[in-house]
Amino acid sequence: MEITVKVEKLSKSYAHIQAVENLDISICRGEVFGLLGANGAGKSTAIECILGTKKQDSGTVSILGMNPRTDRKKLFEKVGVQFQEANYQDKITVAELCEVTQALYKTSSCYADLLKRFGLADKLKSQVSELSGGQKQRLFIVLALIPDPEVVFLDELTTGLDARARRDVWKCLSDLKAKGLTILLTSHFMDEVEELCDKIMILKNGKSVFCGTVQEVITSGPYEKFEDAYLWYTDKEDKENEGI
Amino acid sequence: MRAFSTMFKTELKLSLRGMDMFIFAICMPVVVMVILGIIYANKPAFDGAEYTFLAQSFGAVATIAICAGGVMGLPLVISDYRNKKILKRFMVTPTSPALILAVQVAIYGLYSIASLILVYATATLFFGYQLSGSWPCFCGTYLLVMLSMFSIGLLVGGVAPNIKTASVLASVLYFPMLIFSGATLPYEVMPAALQKVSDILPLTQGIKLLKSASLGLLTDSVLVPVAVLTVLAVVCISISIRFFKWE
Repeated sequence: MEITVKVEKLSKSYAHIQAVENLDISICRGEVFGLLGANGAGKSTAIECILGTKKQDSGTVSILGMNPRTDRKKLFEKVGVQFQEANYQDKITVAELCEVTQALYKTSSCYADLLKRFGLADKLKSQVSELSGGQKQRLFIVLALIPDPEVVFLDELTTGLDARARRDVWKCLSDLKAKGLTILLTSHFMDEVEELCDKIMILKNGKSVFCGTVQEVITSGPYEKFEDAYLWYTDKEDKENEGI
Repeated sequence: MRAFSTMFKTELKLSLRGMDMFIFAICMPVVVMVILGIIYANKPAFDGAEYTFLAQSFGAVATIAICAGGVMGLPLVISDYRNKKILKRFMVTPTSPALILAVQVAIYGLYSIASLILVYATATLFFGYQLSGSWPCFCGTYLLVMLSMFSIGLLVGGVAPNIKTASVLASVLYFPMLIFSGATLPYEVMPAALQKVSDILPLTQGIKLLKSASLGLLTDSVLVPVAVLTVLAVVCISISIRFFKWE
């Protein structure tokens, strides 16, 4: 299988805090990779270093065989990104934001179709600031998909979405995955991770404490439910330390 | 090019929706021109002058929009887009974040030129003004003044750590220049002491240049202001590029 995202020994620290330490990630085409961990575990820093918006202290990153810092313009023709917080201009409408985004790429999908698939077709003329939290979230997933990407990064993709919208987003991503889209996502919802992810990595204080499939997380720990197993991994060291 | 034109169209719409530039760069210069026209009508600039007070003021009034766009509009929009992490989002697309800055410069340039045309139309239609200098000379000078004022804006927007600082700096630069450089309050009616202070402001030098160009009085004396403005533009642009922060 072709490897689309390859991260080796990635480390990044802020002042005296080690935000990310020695991460190794390898994602194949058409795979969904989940980066998990508590708030502040280093997920966003890891994503930003992989994307090149933050400079890592050491380690190498390659997406589609390119270095995101030196081949930025070529790489981001084929990579879509949804950041955790929505960033947009004051008073801009949904249609305008989509149009401007589309104009940045040489090839792109039709944004009207994407908006329809994500239930935003009637919002074209609305100002982005007037959308609800869940609608904004869906709009920014649409923006990440506009370049018709080969790899997409989704940071907390369904935070703020209602149950129906979450299912719709999952369905849509599964369809795209079947067509060969590689997805790297972060999420706090374990049902979502179980549903979507082929492989996961659990981060704790910037270090990987587990990397493998959802099934492997469960079989490697004492619990039967994925969420319990996940929590067992994120709490483990603290419990051991308490024991000492 | 498609990215530039789409973004230009959208950003211009957003800017017009904001209304402030429409008021400060489009309406205000015309209002100032009308007031000066009514007060001074066809009075000569001074006893025995060959040109009217209004003709002398034309170059000054034409810079109001440059001042509004360059030291108020540009720095605020740049620091706002950085603050809102819009520039960061552009970093993960194939475009360079420099594109959005070029678009903003083009928008404020357009406001300035629109204002120049409106001020000129107001002066000629209602107060019988005629530009006695050469148009190419005047336009060249106008572009130089625009470049140097916009470079100040790029510098402030590029290096101000946050939007609060940017807006304080913009106000500190904007209001004194608007009032004391002769753009609104004519330089010639200021007391001599105030004129001396005013001479320090870069816009005052720009306005002196534009006055000479519009009156057809360009002589060797313009070399100093031309040099000052050019150096200012080069220095500000270099610093703003060198120390620019996208986040």
